[in-house]
Amino acid sequence: MKQYGMVIDLQRCTGCGGCIVACKNENNLPEGISWSSKITETKGTFPNIRYSYIPTLCNHCENAPCVSGCPTNAMYSTEDGIVMHDTRKCIGCRFCMARCPYGVISFNWEDPHKSWREETALIPAGTTSPVELVQQVGGNVTPYYNPEQETKYAGIRPRGVVEKCNFCAHRLENDQLPYCVDSCPANARVFGNLADKDSEVNQILGKFKSTRLKEEQGTKPKVFYVREFNRSTYKKTKGGV
Amino acid sequence: MKKQVIETDLDSNVHDSAFTRRTFLKLAGMAGGGMIAASNSPKLNALDFIDSSIADQLKPSGQWLPTTCQGCTSWCSKQIYVIDGRAIKVRGNPNSKVNGSASCVRAHLGLQQVYDPDRVKTPMKRTNPKKGKGEDPQFVPISWDEALDTIADKIMELRDNNETHKYMLMRGRYSYMRDIIYDRMTKIIGSPNNISHSSICAEAEKFGPYYTEGEWTYRQYDILNANYILMWGADPLSANRQISYYTSVWGESIETATAVVVDPRYSATAAKSNLWLPVKPGEDSALALAIAHTILTEGLWYKPFVGDFIDGENRFVAGKSVTHTSFKEIHTHGLVKWWNLELKDKTPEWAAEKSGIAADKIREVAIGYGKAAPHAISWVGGGPVMQPRGGYTSMACHALNGLVGAVDNVGGTLKANKEYTQSFPGYDDFLDDIATEGKGHSKIDHRGRLEFPALNSGKSGGGVVTNNAAEGILNEDPNEIKVAIGYMNNFNFSAPQTERWHRALAKIPFLVHITTNASEFSWFADIILPSTHHMFEKYGYVKSHGNGYRHVTLLLPVIEPVWDLYTDETEIPWKLAEKLAERGFDNLLRHYQSYLDPETGKSPTTAQEFALYALKHATQKLWDPAVYEGGDKFSGWDEFVATGVWNSDPYPYRKRWGNMKTVSGMFEFYSETLKKALESHAEKHETDVDNVLETCGYQARGEIAFLPHYEEPKVWGTKTEYPLLFVDYKSRLNREGRSANTTWYQELRDLDPGCEAYGDVAQLNPIDAKKFGIKSGDKIKLISQVGELICHAKLWEGVRPGTIAKAYGQGHWAYGRVAADEFGKTPRGGNNNDIIPADYDRLSGASAFYAHTRVKVVKV
Repeated sequence: MKQYGMVIDLQRCTGCGGCIVACKNENNLPEGISWSSKITETKGTFPNIRYSYIPTLCNHCENAPCVSGCPTNAMYSTEDGIVMHDTRKCIGCRFCMARCPYGVISFNWEDPHKSWREETALIPAGTTSPVELVQQVGGNVTPYYNPEQETKYAGIRPRGVVEKCNFCAHRLENDQLPYCVDSCPANARVFGNLADKDSEVNQILGKFKSTRLKEEQGTKPKVFYVREFNRSTYKKTKGGV
Repeated sequence: MKKQVIETDLDSNVHDSAFTRRTFLKLAGMAGGGMIAASNSPKLNALDFIDSSIADQLKPSGQWLPTTCQGCTSWCSKQIYVIDGRAIKVRGNPNSKVNGSASCVRAHLGLQQVYDPDRVKTPMKRTNPKKGKGEDPQFVPISWDEALDTIADKIMELRDNNETHKYMLMRGRYSYMRDIIYDRMTKIIGSPNNISHSSICAEAEKFGPYYTEGEWTYRQYDILNANYILMWGADPLSANRQISYYTSVWGESIETATAVVVDPRYSATAAKSNLWLPVKPGEDSALALAIAHTILTEGLWYKPFVGDFIDGENRFVAGKSVTHTSFKEIHTHGLVKWWNLELKDKTPEWAAEKSGIAADKIREVAIGYGKAAPHAISWVGGGPVMQPRGGYTSMACHALNGLVGAVDNVGGTLKANKEYTQSFPGYDDFLDDIATEGKGHSKIDHRGRLEFPALNSGKSGGGVVTNNAAEGILNEDPNEIKVAIGYMNNFNFSAPQTERWHRALAKIPFLVHITTNASEFSWFADIILPSTHHMFEKYGYVKSHGNGYRHVTLLLPVIEPVWDLYTDETEIPWKLAEKLAERGFDNLLRHYQSYLDPETGKSPTTAQEFALYALKHATQKLWDPAVYEGGDKFSGWDEFVATGVWNSDPYPYRKRWGNMKTVSGMFEFYSETLKKALESHAEKHETDVDNVLETCGYQARGEIAFLPHYEEPKVWGTKTEYPLLFVDYKSRLNREGRSANTTWYQELRDLDPGCEAYGDVAQLNPIDAKKFGIKSGDKIKLISQVGELICHAKLWEGVRPGTIAKAYGQGHWAYGRVAADEFGKTPRGGNNNDIIPADYDRLSGASAFYAHTRVKVVKV
């Protein structure tokens, strides 16, 4: 069986956030929820500083605490290594969110896509309301709603359930890469089968030292990071006393 | 560490909602999905996912259709995924050799623009006769007929009174269909006043390349073959130009190249480069000249391009002149003159004091850069040059390419490859006497006057002085403007010192705005015409370059226009031409009817036909095998449209060595080309070059004026009264000034280093913040000599002390419900242009945006 995983090359990544928007687009995410996100930090004191950016997403852990903690099995692992969520079984207890050390599970506190359900037009008869616009273009809650996402997960998750990245399972079944991988302009995300020793992900992991987020938690994440976001040089020196 | 459990009254929320979890679970049992409406919300679809047996039959059903993105001037070729006539997603067009399938982040926001509920859906007219920033126009919807009839009547009124020179066309976001409305329509009506936005873009960037290598153009940079990339204010991973391409190769490029960013602010590109030089705003030329000085004293200039001392002994020694005859130049001109008159004293120590960069650092960069010759790029960005006196900085920074032989070379600075589009049919036969007389008046922006040389491509008055058109309107100099049309522009938001435009626009008796959204400019309009969105609903084309290629990429209507909309540059002018013909003036319509379909020879009979035929005409040599000239070859129009883009032949490196469009034919360190242009401008005004320079506010006199040289930055406000220098920059989410109304923009605004989501922050170094008692999150007011803006503070180490950095793009008080805090009344965030004084690099005509604004900061 496959064991899907991802390698993120921080040298290629420019911190553009294209993956974040692309995922929101592909998966019909509401405002306030991002399955693909980031950790950024600025370190040092002017002028010797560095700004670093780490793209984050669900790590599809081999030893997923969200799965082992879910009381209804709404959170489960598939045979090919995806940690999936079944909206139908979710009771919104958020125990998975408490268990996940990465903060990559989101909860629908409100009816999603609030702004698309507003009913006022700014200029009466001159512009339109969000609701009217969605109707005009034949959308579904949003005007750019992606129906192809519905085959493996609810297209619109309702208030009261969690949601998270599922490695674009709806794309994988059509031999398409997860959308964040496809959309990354820098080819900084590499997807593949960790159980195949010849896969590109394993080729990279063989050649480069990699890290994973919070490895010490024992979650066995399947998203790996290689190389450095910041490149710098300094003039050779022995320092001083 | 366990994630904190959040305290809420979630359970009560859930159970009180008309659409509860229980309802959902009940409905979830329904097979096959379906539309389930919650009682209060329209069509909240609780679609559960489909039974897997059915799922197998549901394959992706959409099509990727080609078009072009104009979110910035990278002008990438794109594809839009369309299902049942609805645009769903965006990606790079793999058929483009410039950007391929790579797409920067801002492209996706186009979906929230085309499907923006705040788009104007029908023509509107103002019913409140008063015009002002706080005056609600009280727009009411009208028909296209009524709108166009009114406009046509106004134009005919000008014609009847021989006042056609009082018509003005303002051009904003264009495609290369622009001449139809910007040039032909303006001329045939009979006015000289077609005013483009170019000088609020980056004209000063082109000044350096023109007056050294004869190319008034943007450049492409061969970074994959470079060993050193020295960027002057350029931030190619965030902002212009060809962001998609540079993002796609940056990680690879920095394997072999040393990247250095010169910028008062730590940009996204600085984070991905080897070295950040936080230069004092306005002092980039000092740095560039010291680097040039060091390259020469260290003997690192590229001899096969520049030449050498006849006896091979390096006589470039600090402080010492060199005899002209001792050096033989090959493909360059004026090196020794440059050394003797300017460079010899411009040591790193001298530059350190001016620029705030340590002398040993300057030397290290200069030597590293020089040793990488000829694969050493000096990348001229907008920041250092769109300043008063910035034209000379443009020359100084670009001239470094000449010293190291990177011009037109592998791993160097390249121009755009040849392409074969053609211009639209001529207008001469359609000019009547009224038009000929009218268009002979002088222009409202004063280009070419003594104080505005605007020396685009060597010609006095050759370039627009966009921001000065406001003065022309206000002072009725040379004449008043009675009827004006602006298309896809927003000058009282996007041009410095916006309040002048508020006054100017209020003065124009009849103003039309062709726009997608009711913006700040629209607020002063008498009529709004809603236009199609360039990425999804329009026929057109643009050209761009990168990766050693030029592409000509088509703008195509991948969906039906969302409302009853027409295209700014083609369909609207046609419809107006029809109206004018009804009123007895058919010259414009007859002109447009001459745009025949190259395939059938047919003359257009409708606006839509006109748009299409015009595009086919302009691009004919690209798609028609019968007139093929080069680059990609197509079997015909249909294949071209299906592909969406034409690519040029590969770059002909070094073809222009010794063969440049300069006076000498060489790469000019001493610019005979600038000398000729300045002398010609001086002669036109019966004066001398020194007087031109004095009038235009430059410090140079005599020969120095034709050389890249140091000019002190010109600043508005004293340090004591206005302690911080204002650093404007561009967000990686900006689609020019038009993306702030998208929720994705607001939600992800912290993608710019040191910024905040849902925020418009001004970034201060903690040292300055402490001085002024400011903490992150404080609401602050930035006050300059000409205006003020309100935003929030963010303390950040990526800011040079003594400066305050803030991105342009927010501060809309119109445009839409997300962009504005209260539509028509209060802005969300602050508009940088409210505080930037209207000043110019007069030699190029470019508006100054950088380094000349001093501000004080107070808490509010």
